[in-house]
Amino acid sequence: MATVQVSEAEKVYILHGIRDDLRVDGRGCEDYRHMEIETDVVSNTDGSAKVTLGHTAVLVGVKAEIGKPRPAVPAEGYLEFFVDCSANATPEFEGRGGEELGTKLSNTLYKVFNNKRSIDLKSLCICAGEHCWVLYVDVLLLQCDGNLYDAISVAIKAALFNTKIPKVHISSDEEGGKEIELSDDPYDCMRLNVENVPCIVTLCKVGHRHVVDATLQEKACSVASLIISVTHKGTITCMRKVGGGSLDPESIFEMTEAGKRVGKALHAPLIKLLEQEESLGKKRQKVGFLG
Amino acid sequence: MLKSKTFVKKTRSGGVMKVVREHYLRDDIWCGSEVCTECKQESTVLQKDACMESSLCSYPHYLVPDTNVVLHQIDILEDPVICNVIILQTVLQEVRHRSAPVYKRLKDVIHEKEKRFYTFTNEHHRDTFIEREPGESANDRNDRAIRVAVKWYSQHLKTFESDTDGLKVVLLTNDQGNKQKAQDNGLLVYKCEEYVKSLIANPELVDRLALSSDDKNEITSSKVLFPEHLPLSRIQTGIKSGSFLQGTFRASRDNYLEATVFVQGEGEDSTEVCVLIQGLQNLNRAVHQDVVAVQLLPRSEWVAPSSVVLQDEGTAKDDEDAEEEEGKLRTAAAEAARKPTGKVVGIIKRNWRPFCGMLNVSQIKESTRHLFTPAERRIPRIRIETRQASTLSGQRIMVAIDGWNTNFLGGAGEKDTEEEVLLLEHDVPHQAFSQAVLSFLPKMPWAITPEDMMKREDLRPLTVCSVDPPGCTDIDDALHCRELENGNLEVGVHIADVSHFIRPGNALDKEAANRGTTVYLCGKRIDMVPELLSSNLCSLRSNVDRLAFSCIWEINHKAEILKTRFTKSVINSKASLTYAEAQMRIDDTNKNDDITKSLRGLNKLAKILKRQRIEKGALTLSSLEVRFHMDSETHDPIDLQTKELMETNSMVEEFMLLANISVAQKIYDEFPECALLRKHPAPPPSNYDILIKAAKSKEVEVHTDSAKALADSLDAAKVDGFPYFNTLLRILATRCMMQAVYFCSGMDSDFHHYGLASPIYTHFTSPIRRYADIIVHRLLAVAIGADTTYPDLMDKHKQSALCNNLNYRHKMSQYAQRASVAFHTQLFFKSRGILNEEGFVLFVRKNAIIVLIPKFGLEGTVFFDSKDKVSPNIVFEEEGPTLSVEQHKFHIFDKVKVTISLDDSNIQHQKIRMALIEPVIPGVSVPAPDTERPAKKQKLDR
Repeated sequence: MATVQVSEAEKVYILHGIRDDLRVDGRGCEDYRHMEIETDVVSNTDGSAKVTLGHTAVLVGVKAEIGKPRPAVPAEGYLEFFVDCSANATPEFEGRGGEELGTKLSNTLYKVFNNKRSIDLKSLCICAGEHCWVLYVDVLLLQCDGNLYDAISVAIKAALFNTKIPKVHISSDEEGGKEIELSDDPYDCMRLNVENVPCIVTLCKVGHRHVVDATLQEKACSVASLIISVTHKGTITCMRKVGGGSLDPESIFEMTEAGKRVGKALHAPLIKLLEQEESLGKKRQKVGFLG
Repeated sequence: MLKSKTFVKKTRSGGVMKVVREHYLRDDIWCGSEVCTECKQESTVLQKDACMESSLCSYPHYLVPDTNVVLHQIDILEDPVICNVIILQTVLQEVRHRSAPVYKRLKDVIHEKEKRFYTFTNEHHRDTFIEREPGESANDRNDRAIRVAVKWYSQHLKTFESDTDGLKVVLLTNDQGNKQKAQDNGLLVYKCEEYVKSLIANPELVDRLALSSDDKNEITSSKVLFPEHLPLSRIQTGIKSGSFLQGTFRASRDNYLEATVFVQGEGEDSTEVCVLIQGLQNLNRAVHQDVVAVQLLPRSEWVAPSSVVLQDEGTAKDDEDAEEEEGKLRTAAAEAARKPTGKVVGIIKRNWRPFCGMLNVSQIKESTRHLFTPAERRIPRIRIETRQASTLSGQRIMVAIDGWNTNFLGGAGEKDTEEEVLLLEHDVPHQAFSQAVLSFLPKMPWAITPEDMMKREDLRPLTVCSVDPPGCTDIDDALHCRELENGNLEVGVHIADVSHFIRPGNALDKEAANRGTTVYLCGKRIDMVPELLSSNLCSLRSNVDRLAFSCIWEINHKAEILKTRFTKSVINSKASLTYAEAQMRIDDTNKNDDITKSLRGLNKLAKILKRQRIEKGALTLSSLEVRFHMDSETHDPIDLQTKELMETNSMVEEFMLLANISVAQKIYDEFPECALLRKHPAPPPSNYDILIKAAKSKEVEVHTDSAKALADSLDAAKVDGFPYFNTLLRILATRCMMQAVYFCSGMDSDFHHYGLASPIYTHFTSPIRRYADIIVHRLLAVAIGADTTYPDLMDKHKQSALCNNLNYRHKMSQYAQRASVAFHTQLFFKSRGILNEEGFVLFVRKNAIIVLIPKFGLEGTVFFDSKDKVSPNIVFEEEGPTLSVEQHKFHIFDKVKVTISLDDSNIQHQKIRMALIEPVIPGVSVPAPDTERPAKKQKLDR
């Protein structure tokens, strides 16, 4: 991942600041940077969202396609994740440089989102054992300025909120052949329930304390971080430690508590914002990528 | 301004795809009206004083039809009266989507300048584009788009009201909801019917109105209800799973309640299966030539084709009657004679074309619904709505089933009309050649250029002459024969080099390929190529230089071919003779000029060739051909005679056969994959049943194992005191034969020509009147290096498709020819009144006998059961076959005496009526010829 070189003196400065709950950019330890969200930015997808968090920018598109359900869960649809690390984000991603990170990210996202507690996978089923909706979630990293997980998770939640799946119904003829029929009204579509979709909160252990939404400099001072996915009720659905260092049980406990708190607080304004945007309908002024 | 249009669609693999299209809105789309000063248009389509005399709209106005009006009432829009119409892009797109033929017609109308149809691209106009709203169906959205555009127009034009007297825009729609909404929006809107009825100056337009849906319901509530046709998707799955069969529907000529469907077998087993369909319910509204899906009935319900002749009697018949007739069909048939029987479950492709026919005026005076009876017997009657019944009755009219065309053709029974009808009915392209076709003709005056001479052999010094029927102007063959120094004979067949003038792929070539053949009617010829070629440049007339394709043999006196060569040449015919003239020269021993000597040599060789051919097993069949003597002024037939055959006929024929066979061999050797050949398949043995049975009744045995055996037994068949027997037998044998067909050598393995007993055959000798010969000329020219090839010539699939068309045209031209003869026979009998003639029984049917009158070459049916008389006691025996009427038993070949008269009680199907005089059967035969005409009697009885 994109890294910055931080000198010893800078490190001390950052560490001391965090110890006093005052970070380099003036935030407290549990504060996020400025976040911007816009949905429905790519017309070719069924749902899309663009999120900028500080200078981190990600674009998420959701494409719904008809596929075959997995044999183990015939009555459920599923999600697929792909993370594309654009070389626009950082020169390190050039060539195949971003591949490793992309795989790591998409595996984590799969763990976090593809389960029936996060999304009602049953609603994606069209015909048990034969047809279901597969949601291809494509994540494009446009710019990296730390805290990718959180930005991506918010973007995914927003994109899923925005997703409109065309309504289909199965008609069968007497020979037993089943035919998928499409409604000819483009407004006749199914929306997903995103209430339980979690957001990821990454907590970075810096010194003896931990911070959320670490910048690249803060990240450089940290030895290990914990990613926690939290639902709107504060339930933790997934937890994972990343980074080379070790965390002692006590600080893990502290960090989960903080994560819960921060995560819970993140959901409410996010949903409010999305609903507000949705209610504007066609009157909304699109910002897009130039705004 | 950019908008995007989003829609979802299903992909072929069953997935769902979201499609997003960019859609640009513009502000430079002009309204197309003459009055507009705001739009910066260069030329305007819509006139300032758009006047259609309507009692509803007394002011100048433009019409805006909605999609359904265009789809259903295109006949109205095509009328020259209707002009100044705005066709919205929304409408155009929807029409294109829903019906390609209507779209094509609409496009044609738009392109016509005088019609002043303007296409307004409202979907791209900034002010008239609308987006679909949630909950709105696509149709509602389009209706709204139309209303918005109309609104825009009326406001746009209002701006210039000062200098016009209130130009308005009128929306035409048949949709009640749409009309209501438009009225609420303050638009001028009328139903199409209302508007058309208000056109005071043109009341005839009303008849062109198609029925609106509520009218249709009334009609379907009549008594015979047909089973619903299945939707196409179910038919397709049915055909895939094998539960339905797909085939072409062919109605029976003799029986309107019976039809067969020819189903092409699958894979290697490519034999055709016939499925019999019987009864109105099972026929299920299929019309002759439709492609239909049929379902086979269980074996227990299979029936045999009835040999009853049933004619739909034209008059409005009650359904009970039809049921009764259906009952008649279901006679117990022998198990063996039963055929696969099925019912029509759906129609895959309608093959409707305009039909000619007549109106049966309804008995109720005020009624506007009448029945239309098509001239073609295989087409069912069609219900028509018109207010012009009184003017239309007795006229030949044209009716299109899908539209509402009623065109006059002229009075029935008039000669020109009848000829037109039979050409139309047999799908013979007979329009004048188009300008595009004529543009490919050589420029006159035409002369042979030195370059042509360079490439061709100069055969002008040879004594070439042509022998043809009298009055022939399209002479495509000429002959010569001379003695060589080595004692052998050189014989040349020179064929008009039509392929020199008709180059592949141009409009002239395409037209000729489509026409396929020249059609000869009595006293009329429908040319395949324009007259300049057929009667002048290609015609090998005497004493002019003509281009030819020559086939030259060196033949010894035993008529063995020693050498064959083909060459493009220039000839100069020394004489154009008729068969009779040629015959006279040969017979006249005083004449000893070059031409006569040449003819004698040819005649001698021809006799040997013919003998050889017959020894090989070629058949000499017989069919009576009738020739009319025409009145030179009225072109009415004044006398008729059967065609006489002379030695010279057979002389020319013999050399033509020889040339065809030589050429066939040459092109097949050169192009085994794509030679165009002609074959005549051997008939299946069962075809001969009737012939064997008939011969047996006169104790004559006919062997049908091979062509040779058949030819021999026909030659041997003689009955004492019955000289005509042999001819009759040959006529019957002809009926047993298969059709000879063109085919592409790469697509078939059986080349044999049964009738000529030749292993290979083609048509080379009449390129002026047959397109197949042109192709053969091209192939031969390539083979001898005289011309270049082109891709289509070497494509066996293209060739095969061409063959199909040629076979079809050929068959149709024969039918048309026959129909023309039949019509002229009728005309002849019309002027003659009632005649008594001797005839022979040719076929015996269940309720009738078919009688041949040799004097006129005329065939007619004598019915024994008629509607208004008590049926005599009739017993039909399949073995034999014989028909016993009261005490008398009819056999095939029985001599009978009949009266012949013209039955014009049904003017549509005027027919020759025959009634029996001898043998006398009480209650059946008619006593004397000069009594009142039976036709009239029938009329009184009704």
